[in-house]
Amino acid sequence: MSAPADGSPPDGSPVTGPTEEAAEAPKVGVDEWVARHEERRQAHGGLTGAVIQGWDRVPPAGHLAILFAPFVVFGFVANEGNLYRYGLITLIYALLALGLNVVVGFAGLLDLGYIAFFGVGAYAFGIMASGHSGHHLPAELAVPIAVAFTALVGLLLGLTSWRVSGDYLAIVTLFFLQAFVIFVNNANGGPSDWSYPFVGKVDITGGANGLDQIDPLRFFGYSISTTKGYYFYTLISLAVLMAMLFFVNRSRTGRAWRSLREDPLAAEVMSIPVNRLKLLAFVFGAAIAGYCGTIFGSVQSGAFPGDYDVGLLITIYAIAILGGLGSIGGVVIGALIVNGVPELLRSSENARLLFYGALVVGLFLAMRPWYRPVVVIVGTIAFGFVVHGVAGAVWPRGTAGHIQGGARLAGPLEHWVLLPTHPGRIGGWAYFALIAMALVLTLVRGWWRTLLLIPTLYLAAFVWENELVEQVSGATRLILLGALLVVIMNVRPSGIFGTARVEVV
Amino acid sequence: MNWNLFFGELVSGLTLGSIYALIALGYTMVYGILKLLNFAHGDVYMVGAYVAFFVLQWLGGPLNTDVAGWLAIAIMFLVAMLACGMLGVGIERFAYRRLRNAPRIAPLISALGVSIFLQNSALLLWGPNFRDYGTFDLINVKSYRVGANFLISNIQILTIVTSIVLMIVLTLLVSRTRTGKAMRATSFDREAAEMMGISVDGVVSFTFFVGSALAAAAGVMFVILFGQASPLMGFTAGLKGFTAAVVGGIGSIPGAMLGGYLIGLLEAFATGYLPGGSTYANLYVFALLIAMFLLRPSGLLGSPTIQKV
Amino acid sequence: MRLLELRDVSKAFGGLTVVDHLTMHVDEGEIVSVIGPNGAGKTTVFNLITGIFDVDSGEIVFEGERVSGLPPHKITDRGIARTFQSLRLFLNMTVLENVMAATYGHTKASVVEAMLQLPRSRREEKRIRALAEEKLAFFGQRLVGYRHDQYAYSLSYANRRRLEIARAMATNARLLLLDEPAAGMNPNETHEITELIGELREKAGYSILVIEHDMHVVEGISDRVIALDHGVKIAEGSFDEVATHPLVVEAYLGARAQEEAV
Repeated sequence: MSAPADGSPPDGSPVTGPTEEAAEAPKVGVDEWVARHEERRQAHGGLTGAVIQGWDRVPPAGHLAILFAPFVVFGFVANEGNLYRYGLITLIYALLALGLNVVVGFAGLLDLGYIAFFGVGAYAFGIMASGHSGHHLPAELAVPIAVAFTALVGLLLGLTSWRVSGDYLAIVTLFFLQAFVIFVNNANGGPSDWSYPFVGKVDITGGANGLDQIDPLRFFGYSISTTKGYYFYTLISLAVLMAMLFFVNRSRTGRAWRSLREDPLAAEVMSIPVNRLKLLAFVFGAAIAGYCGTIFGSVQSGAFPGDYDVGLLITIYAIAILGGLGSIGGVVIGALIVNGVPELLRSSENARLLFYGALVVGLFLAMRPWYRPVVVIVGTIAFGFVVHGVAGAVWPRGTAGHIQGGARLAGPLEHWVLLPTHPGRIGGWAYFALIAMALVLTLVRGWWRTLLLIPTLYLAAFVWENELVEQVSGATRLILLGALLVVIMNVRPSGIFGTARVEVV
Repeated sequence: MNWNLFFGELVSGLTLGSIYALIALGYTMVYGILKLLNFAHGDVYMVGAYVAFFVLQWLGGPLNTDVAGWLAIAIMFLVAMLACGMLGVGIERFAYRRLRNAPRIAPLISALGVSIFLQNSALLLWGPNFRDYGTFDLINVKSYRVGANFLISNIQILTIVTSIVLMIVLTLLVSRTRTGKAMRATSFDREAAEMMGISVDGVVSFTFFVGSALAAAAGVMFVILFGQASPLMGFTAGLKGFTAAVVGGIGSIPGAMLGGYLIGLLEAFATGYLPGGSTYANLYVFALLIAMFLLRPSGLLGSPTIQKV
Repeated sequence: MRLLELRDVSKAFGGLTVVDHLTMHVDEGEIVSVIGPNGAGKTTVFNLITGIFDVDSGEIVFEGERVSGLPPHKITDRGIARTFQSLRLFLNMTVLENVMAATYGHTKASVVEAMLQLPRSRREEKRIRALAEEKLAFFGQRLVGYRHDQYAYSLSYANRRRLEIARAMATNARLLLLDEPAAGMNPNETHEITELIGELREKAGYSILVIEHDMHVVEGISDRVIALDHGVKIAEGSFDEVATHPLVVEAYLGARAQEEAV
């Protein structure tokens, strides 16, 4: 390589003359054309590309409006139950995930105790405004105080990040969550509680039964008392917070956090006070979580220890990761998927449709060309009928059982899936077999994979109908979340909307 | 001075410590090689406990075993260790292998995912309640008395002795065999080890196998001692095992053993002597962890790593 | 008053003394090169000056005030910035963001002001952007225009080195510490860097302390050269004086070569 390709002199002084006019459209071989090669290669073609380009042309305020329009509409048309389950809880989770995004996504600090702040906010609010505690501060006082208190707790926990980092920070924060749970479970002035100086035993948190009768949010005399009211309150809070975080991300603090995430040592040498910024991230995240806590506590009219556990932590992490760490809009989509889908799964009928629907869609997304998924689906159906027929003849008890719920699909399914009258242990072995086969599938390629998909899918339907469908609300949901996390990390660590990161090892 | 209480808690602490030490070993070995905190490790311990139960059932149950009591125990150990060893290898293969060079958060989240997956699979298949088998009926549990106040039972002796034996075997394995040398080399510099002809994949799989087998052994011992298992038992035990590994110095095998016994003793004495006792025992362990991080981040027996800038 | 002074500075890691009672200085407007075989302690000296490590004994004084013992970001605020031997850019940020990030120390808008987009923060943002673009423009056409929004990981090696220097410049430092700026460059790029370092002093007024192995570069830029070996200063003076100094020849080429040279 000798002189720079755009014709400028070797010492880098600015270019003048004919090349400048000619540089409107980058030429082949010219520096800029080469530099943009990677962009062109990664740009999506066709429909996706058009959508992305259209999206990029809309100003950020437009993004916000587009994202929130469906939520606003939903708020007016949905019934009470749906509004609560699908709407309000999704929004609260999204808000939580947004706060987590600040700590983990912006600043890169692995905080596994984050949910404790959610709890602190709820309990703090409850202590100030509940029938249980006897105080009834109005929300315009109680909420800021609760948030400030939670931020303070965040500050204290953040101090540990000065000495420990990475994996160790994760463990310390996880322990903090455990400590919080133990504390709230026991701080009810009862026999297992401590006795404080001057005041003796005090009921702070109501112990294992929780802090009940929390007041609804009452701002300047106006109470929010309906689900719809809370829904829109939360929606507005979410929109405002997203806007603020958008600005923060582009500010010097946001850049400083990202530098801290990239390379703390280099950041420190580039005039960034790393320790202070770590604290700020913790405080920020804690404040947001605390705010969510005040909403959640008043919506539920209580704060109960069981709500602030590792299961919720995993859920919020799944949302943040799925949406893409560092992506502000992504968390909303993530919340929709992670909360909406299991909620849909609660009714067996919906769940069934969703399960089989997801399988089919997944097949079509994952396998090209188009005839492969068709082969697999047809093959599985045929395989199923054959097996069912044979089993019916050989082992009558294997097919005599009934589908739970199922409505329209029940009939055909009963002739297709093996339904033993007493699933018992077979269900368990089938579960193991399914996991084993799924893992084997990742090891084989090509037509072997297509072929083995058939019995695997049939087995999946078997396990679904006999085991998972019943447990959808509890264990199944977390099983799916756990598997989801593993799969995302292995396949697309940056989530749906995150940008792929480059890491120097 | 209540010697009865003292010795009681001492024995209890050593027994618990043996279990935590075995769990800690798995953590420390994996962290030494991959710099990964295997969150799922505690749940492998849980699976080991359940496997032990099922083996016992298969052998006829604690009351009318087909084989002699001691032989049944030996079989429980063997099967559980083998099964969990393979489980560990499988977990590594499918959840961590691709993430060897990924940013640190990726394998950590993946490990969390595996942990949740295992816990809830156990919940799904075996229910949330404690399985209670009277394993006490399996062996004739006898207590031995030394002096006026020292009481120890044969299963407690079994636990402590077995764990010490396993730790000796592991130490010999790591320091005297070629595989052990390969393990040590890989933990120092993975790339260089690969270039020297060491199969890093093989070493990693082997490490996971051994670590998981030890965790399974801990699970079996828990079953024998307490006759119970629950799907969520792995979580707290795993956290304490990890604390033990860190306190002793992560990456150091003698450190993990030391840390395990320390944590066990701390928990036992806290339960016996400190206010709030058993409820807050976990908090005291937590406090120890924080103290260790603040005062001596590399742990008791660990060596501080200096990063070249 | 000297710009930077190291007075009897020592640093040991474990049992190994890496910097041994080192006394050296940089005057305002000077370009000083530090040379020496690998392991001589050169980068450690940089780390000590910038506060990454603390001195075991002795002190480091900048513009008359003691900086040894301060945290790194405060030292940078005082006016010392550096680049790294093995590049340490913020890879997942754009070129412009990398440079803008380094202005943190001399900017003031708080988080709250940014969240609410108060006028002061908006004005400052514009100023930061202009400053960053100005620093990047120092490198000609290399890092301007469309380059601003490219991620740092997509840059070529030479451009990455330039970006690191631009980033250091954005801290508004007065003394630049360049750690092997020409490492891994071909002759053309090396020539460019040599000219660039000169321009940094002539046009932008920096004082510069450079670690370099490439003697062409050292010869081309240095007012003064300091040679280190095993943490000890073995020679100091003009390039010609140091290059022919017997101890320096011995350090690089060994004692026999020293004899043959005589």
